[in-house]
Amino acid sequence: MAKKTKKTSDTVTLTSKDKKTLGSIRDLADGVVQSADRGRAPYVDIPSRSLSNVRFNQSKRIIEMGSGTNRRELFNLGQAKSYMQTLLVGSGCKRLIEQGKTTSIRGLFYLLKHTIEGASEETFDTQDECDPIIEDIEVSLDSMREELHLYAKNAGAMVGPITLVDSGDGIDCSRMGSGGYSIPSIVEPNIVQFKKNSAEFVLHVEKDTVWRRFNEDKFWREHNCILTHGGGQPPRGVRRMLHRLHYELKLPVYCLLDNDPWGYYIYSVIKQGSINLAYESRRMAIPAARFLGLRSIDYERCQLSPSVQIKLNDQDIKRARQIAQYPWFAHKKPWQKELDLMLKNGFKLEVEALISKDISYVTEEYVPSRLEEGNFLD
Amino acid sequence: MSPVNIKVKPRTTEGNGPMRNGQGAVSTSVASPAGSVSEPHPRRRLTAEAMAAKQRDISVSEFFAKNRHLLGFDNPRKALLTAVKEAVDNSLDACEEAGIVPEVWVHIETTGVNRFKVGVQDNGPGIVKKQIPLIFGKLLYGSNFHRLRMSRGQQGIGISAAGMYGMLTTGKPVKIISITSPKKPAHYFEIQIDTKRNLPEIINGQGDGENIPSGERGHKYIADQGIEWVSHYPVPDAQDEHSHHRQDVRSGTRVTIELEGRYVRGRGSVDDYLEQTAIANPHVTIHYIDPEANETTYSRSTTQLPPEPREIKPHPYGIELGRLVTMLKDTGAGTMSQFLTASFSRVSSGVAQRICETAKISTRSHPKRIGRQEADALYQAIQNTRISAPATDCISSIGEPLILKGLHQQVPGEFFCAATRPPAVYRGNPFLIEVGLAYGGASPTQKVTLETLTELLAESDARSLRQFLLTTFDGIGRAGAEKILSEAKMGPRQTPSRIKKEDIAQLHAAMKNVNLTEGQTMQVLRYANRVPLQFQPAACAITQAVISNNWRAYGLSQSRGQIPVGPVTVMVHMASVWVPFTSESKEAIAAYPEIMKELRLGLQAVGRKLAMYLNRRNRVRQEGERREVFLRYLGEVATAVASIKDYGDRSRKELYGRLLQVAERKTAEADTQLDDRGKKIDSAEQNFGENVLIVNPGVATQDS
Repeated sequence: MAKKTKKTSDTVTLTSKDKKTLGSIRDLADGVVQSADRGRAPYVDIPSRSLSNVRFNQSKRIIEMGSGTNRRELFNLGQAKSYMQTLLVGSGCKRLIEQGKTTSIRGLFYLLKHTIEGASEETFDTQDECDPIIEDIEVSLDSMREELHLYAKNAGAMVGPITLVDSGDGIDCSRMGSGGYSIPSIVEPNIVQFKKNSAEFVLHVEKDTVWRRFNEDKFWREHNCILTHGGGQPPRGVRRMLHRLHYELKLPVYCLLDNDPWGYYIYSVIKQGSINLAYESRRMAIPAARFLGLRSIDYERCQLSPSVQIKLNDQDIKRARQIAQYPWFAHKKPWQKELDLMLKNGFKLEVEALISKDISYVTEEYVPSRLEEGNFLD
Repeated sequence: MSPVNIKVKPRTTEGNGPMRNGQGAVSTSVASPAGSVSEPHPRRRLTAEAMAAKQRDISVSEFFAKNRHLLGFDNPRKALLTAVKEAVDNSLDACEEAGIVPEVWVHIETTGVNRFKVGVQDNGPGIVKKQIPLIFGKLLYGSNFHRLRMSRGQQGIGISAAGMYGMLTTGKPVKIISITSPKKPAHYFEIQIDTKRNLPEIINGQGDGENIPSGERGHKYIADQGIEWVSHYPVPDAQDEHSHHRQDVRSGTRVTIELEGRYVRGRGSVDDYLEQTAIANPHVTIHYIDPEANETTYSRSTTQLPPEPREIKPHPYGIELGRLVTMLKDTGAGTMSQFLTASFSRVSSGVAQRICETAKISTRSHPKRIGRQEADALYQAIQNTRISAPATDCISSIGEPLILKGLHQQVPGEFFCAATRPPAVYRGNPFLIEVGLAYGGASPTQKVTLETLTELLAESDARSLRQFLLTTFDGIGRAGAEKILSEAKMGPRQTPSRIKKEDIAQLHAAMKNVNLTEGQTMQVLRYANRVPLQFQPAACAITQAVISNNWRAYGLSQSRGQIPVGPVTVMVHMASVWVPFTSESKEAIAAYPEIMKELRLGLQAVGRKLAMYLNRRNRVRQEGERREVFLRYLGEVATAVASIKDYGDRSRKELYGRLLQVAERKTAEADTQLDDRGKKIDSAEQNFGENVLIVNPGVATQDS
């Protein structure tokens, strides 16, 4: 086994990016050695990924990470384990890069998970413990996930009049059947290249159920657009794809999301970036994305039946108030009105609620008329 | 001594039962005419003269025969205990006063359904013939009431009341045999109490008792007549029978009372009483035979008798104005100065002079001519004059070393400490508080064997299993009982005596397995003059002091107004020339502010030591855990770094070694943290001060 490993690592040619990442990982380990040599307690400073350490860049209209860091120390009872885990993730990524392989974050979890010697404790109990550490490594090494040779599971699909090349295979997104092209978690130009495109805009919907409706009705053919979904909160691959479609192909992005705080937040993440991954905003945020629906006025505008209402719970109300306070919504009157109206309604609406009018109401009536009106929230 | 009769005024004893002696019942109906609406003109029923015919003295025996609950004979279970207790207390008092190391035999024998014969014998000095009938056959006759001296007995009610109770419930006389010396004849009496006149009635020997000649003839007579008497000390070692010849009991008294009672085990039982007595009286050996003929011996751990308590005069601070006036009237002293120095302790002529000056009374004025106002001034003057605290040698404390010894012998635990407070004064009576504390150890539910549990269940009069658990085992608490029952998968309402054998085994296993340390409440052992107090805990000053103390500060959990929770046993001993009981049955100590203060200080003293122990234990444990956590992860960190840096095994080990050094320094720094006062905490057991016993030093000292 060991022999084989060696053989592979010999043949792998490291890219300059890989060399840079390996250097950062070595710096991390050097820190430990130096501290130990000087008899000091080793630590890592990790840029803080919390609301307090992000700021909204008014001119770029994206969320950016601040300079705040959290120190993680080995000789601190509360941090000892995560310190150990941080170094473990570092060593795991080093192995991946050296062997020229990529793995899923779940794979890395299994790669690193073992019982600590002389104790009945596992290095990682669950993947939930491992994932934040990976993100910590990403920020502290200033390396993106793909640079660490990691990817997340595919989530989200895409269909439309566009052809692209994925890892050397040509893909025609207009001939993807009912399932669509599954958007990989890494869609960087070295992996995915756009070839031919005739679409005029991108319609991003929240969930795959709604997306299926649109695909079945061949909405994208009729309206000449690319149709994507992100399975709820869109993962990085989907966001990066939208970002590239918008900036490289100059396609406007419209979002069709539920009329609830969660839907608003998804829009906010697509548009400005997320708090947790603020360091990725510059590659992912699309400040020009528009919110197409559902709107709080739609209950009246579309004359929906009262049975499709879902009552707002306390958490929804709290969340809505929080969203209204975000600096990127705070000064937008239409948004304040939108949120106020939802709170006044006291209920939320899912996109599926439109099916109560007619099965294809959303594809034949609702979205076409919104597009025609050009009435979007910004 | 003349017969003591209490003249009881009916009004003052309202609620003490049906008053058939006249005025009580009559006066209420006269005084409430409003109640009889149908009769607008109430007929006058009795004249004052007619009523007067019914007004007469009440014999103290009659009073207590009716109010026997006041003396602790309110239910059969308690009656048995009280009888044993009174007899044992008297025996111990007598032995100690005579300077004999006490050896007590307690025999309880079943004679019928709910009938027991209680025999208590001591090796004390014996009682002279003339006094025997009076001591055992007359209420309120005794040696302790009129003097201020620390003793178990106080009023002279107990043993005669026990005899009277036995006579009332079984009709059998009290039997007493007493030997004062092997050379003198022994005396044997069978006595009944004439409750009307509060006088003893001797039944045997034509009303004069029996004289038993000394020597072998006497032994034969005792045996022939079936008189119960243990004539020899038990041979300490059966194997050495030849080298030890049997030692005669040279003197002593045995009282045998047959009474209606109920024998149970567990809390508030005879067994419990004797065990607790053994804790507080390490110089006593008790041979106990229970109704099932099991023999238990509580052996002494020291042959040193407690110092002999001295009789003292009252201390001026504790005297009330009324008492002062009475004393002034009764004194034989010619001058105030003489009166003050002679009647009180700690009053020298100098102090007397200062008191008189403050009161503006001449030291030479005659006490009998002191008027009411002057007496008042005198009383105030006493309060305002500095008088030294009463002599302390009149109280004999158990002492911290012996408390530790006694607790350690009877209570399992890992940490013991004791504190004896300096004597203080309430109402002019010197008293002293001693507190012992035991921490840790198994709970009583975990100690019990399957056989004992089976017996306990069969004997229990509890109505439900839960009640059985609560009443039989100390300090398990409601939550603990629930835990045990749910572990055993048994309902709480089963009748204890009807539980099947398999179920008992299951219950026993559950009791062993359930760890009650969390929910266990503190066990409080209360003592007054070395006598355990087993009833009315809530009414007792000791319990109140335990509850009002803030144990959370000492590392135990405690909810407001509750006994603290934890595997803790606290014993509190109040020694005094006069212990203020809340009732004649001597079950609870009255909460005088001075007593409460001393109790608080005593509890705080042991509490502080407990807190130190617990803190230290926690700290050591935390340190250990801390270091363990670091060490656990160090290996992983070193391996990860080695893999990143492509280190060989040797470099990895070097790095690990260096990290280990840092870790040890880091945790060593934490070892020498500063305490509350900013001083460095040393690794020292002497911090605990004196009189601390740590049974498992491994836990407390393994640091660094």
